[in-house]
Amino acid sequence: MAQKIIIDTDPGVDDAMAIFFALRSPELDVIGLTTIFGNVHTHLATVNALRLLDIAGRPDIPVAHGADDPLAVPFGGPVPFVHGDDGQGNVNLPPSPRKAVNQSAAQFIVEQVMAHPGEITLVPVGPLTNIALALRLEPRIAQHTKQVVLMGGNAIVPGNATPCAEANIHNDPEAADVVFGAPWDVVMVGLDVTHNVYMEADDVAEYARIGNPMTEHVAAILPHYRKYFGDNYGIDGIYVHDSSAIAYLLDPTLFETIRRPVRVDCTHDIGRGKTWPALGERVDAPWQNRPDVTICTKVDSQRLVQLELNRMRGV
Amino acid sequence: MPRAMIIDTDTASDDAVAILMALQHPDIDVKAITVVNGNMPVAQGSINARYTVEVCGKDVPVYDGVDAAITRDLYRAYFFHGPDGMGNMNYPAPKAPPAPGHAVEALIRVIRENPGIILVTLGPLTNVALAVLQAPDIVPLVSRCVMMGGAANCVGNITPAAEYNIWVDPEAARTVFRSGLPVEMVGWETCRGEANLTEEDMRYCKEVINTPLAHFSIDCNASALSANINWLGDPGLALPDPVAMAIAIDPTICTRASKHYVEVECDGTYTRGMTVVDELGVTKYDTANVEMWQPLVKKGEPHITVCWTIDAKRWKALLYDLIK
Repeated sequence: MAQKIIIDTDPGVDDAMAIFFALRSPELDVIGLTTIFGNVHTHLATVNALRLLDIAGRPDIPVAHGADDPLAVPFGGPVPFVHGDDGQGNVNLPPSPRKAVNQSAAQFIVEQVMAHPGEITLVPVGPLTNIALALRLEPRIAQHTKQVVLMGGNAIVPGNATPCAEANIHNDPEAADVVFGAPWDVVMVGLDVTHNVYMEADDVAEYARIGNPMTEHVAAILPHYRKYFGDNYGIDGIYVHDSSAIAYLLDPTLFETIRRPVRVDCTHDIGRGKTWPALGERVDAPWQNRPDVTICTKVDSQRLVQLELNRMRGV
Repeated sequence: MPRAMIIDTDTASDDAVAILMALQHPDIDVKAITVVNGNMPVAQGSINARYTVEVCGKDVPVYDGVDAAITRDLYRAYFFHGPDGMGNMNYPAPKAPPAPGHAVEALIRVIRENPGIILVTLGPLTNVALAVLQAPDIVPLVSRCVMMGGAANCVGNITPAAEYNIWVDPEAARTVFRSGLPVEMVGWETCRGEANLTEEDMRYCKEVINTPLAHFSIDCNASALSANINWLGDPGLALPDPVAMAIAIDPTICTRASKHYVEVECDGTYTRGMTVVDELGVTKYDTANVEMWQPLVKKGEPHITVCWTIDAKRWKALLYDLIK
């Protein structure tokens, strides 16, 4: 039976790629999308999630609207220079005829997990606000969620939002500290691996050649995103962030991992949002009584990119 | 028509008296009571709230809420209110179970169903923060958000800088202060000293008023009374939640109030949970350290009403009226 997943997302160009990657993978059963601020404001995330499902021909999948702001401080704002003003490379899609369900993202997560105990894997690829809210609304979801495979954080490499912090975690460090601290099985697919998953120019061009509605959409939204990587990292291609979390679900052997408890810097100073695994032999007090998090440290980039492209080709 | 009210509470002894006041007032219609972590675990707070409702002979739903702070470790106030939160009086178990559904969902639903409702918060702000984070549309539907919490003049009770309700969950408090809710902050310092019930006042309640509600109000606060004297060196019985409730019922009991920018310290070493009130309005000038206030200043005029002084005689008179 296919693995039930809920993707919590702020679409986002790479979110669109990850959602399509999941929808094209028969091992995965996407039972809902929940939306969050990050790449865009939450209202636009909801609009985009609905549009992406329309493009994928999956209007049966519900979308639940998430929190507009982080737990403790107002949202710092979207990143149109990365994802476009519309979050989708400035292609300005028509609005979806559908609406979000009449339930908050956190409520949706609680209801689904409690209705299918042990069956659902949460795949947050944005800030972790909705997941933390769900944990506070119903702590038992920690026992009843199969796994949390999240894109976010940086264990031993620099950040991308600040020198210290990765963008998803930096957008709500308090929420991330709650999620890493809950008694459940969390896999952190962070910059340690995603900045090593490189989709080259030729791979990117493949989207235009495959020729289905999903790949055509990705081909249309990628140029804006690609320019960001060219301007900021000097690469001719993109790093694969959100799709790496989907790849972990399909084939964890793509990754090398370590298991350590993780804390998040929740100070309001230069270190805010840094994920700190207890890497040494000693586990100091702030890390004690926290579960081990599976932290991805290495990845087979080529194999991951080919897996994604093959799925989009339908092989 | 009576005014609609919803009460969010971490029900221990002074909360119980505040709830009683609202339930007994003819002009107040309590639509629901929502219980949050704080003084007590939610399960015990819920028992205390439901027992209080039954003591008043009422039938108001009590919803159980979040049994944690948003990010902070738990810190209950057994040392202040006793192991059961009710002065160890061994009251019988309430007959009614908690109402079905979650307190946060109840807050959202009841506020949407009763535009113009008064929200009174007597505990940490976790439930309310989760409600506004999930449903920001409820903010303009609340006509007043009367909050027992904070310490505008830095008279802390759990630390030198912070009042307990805010300190327990400073992130939640910050979210509520920033949400746009029309907060009326009734700080700890306005609820002590002259506002305390003296020995004479307590004797008046038990011997002259001498109703079951009068005895209940004083007896359940036995632990709080000794803690107030021994822990805080403040003679008499402090009843912060009932003072806030008195102002919710009759705003004129607050004799001096003004609107200010208020921030909650979430990062301080010595000042976690401090309510930082810009009393003199200095953040509108281009002076030192003002940049962190800009998100608030840019949103417009200050919207947090700080209550500075109360009419202690009138607050007590209202209490006496309602326990008669």
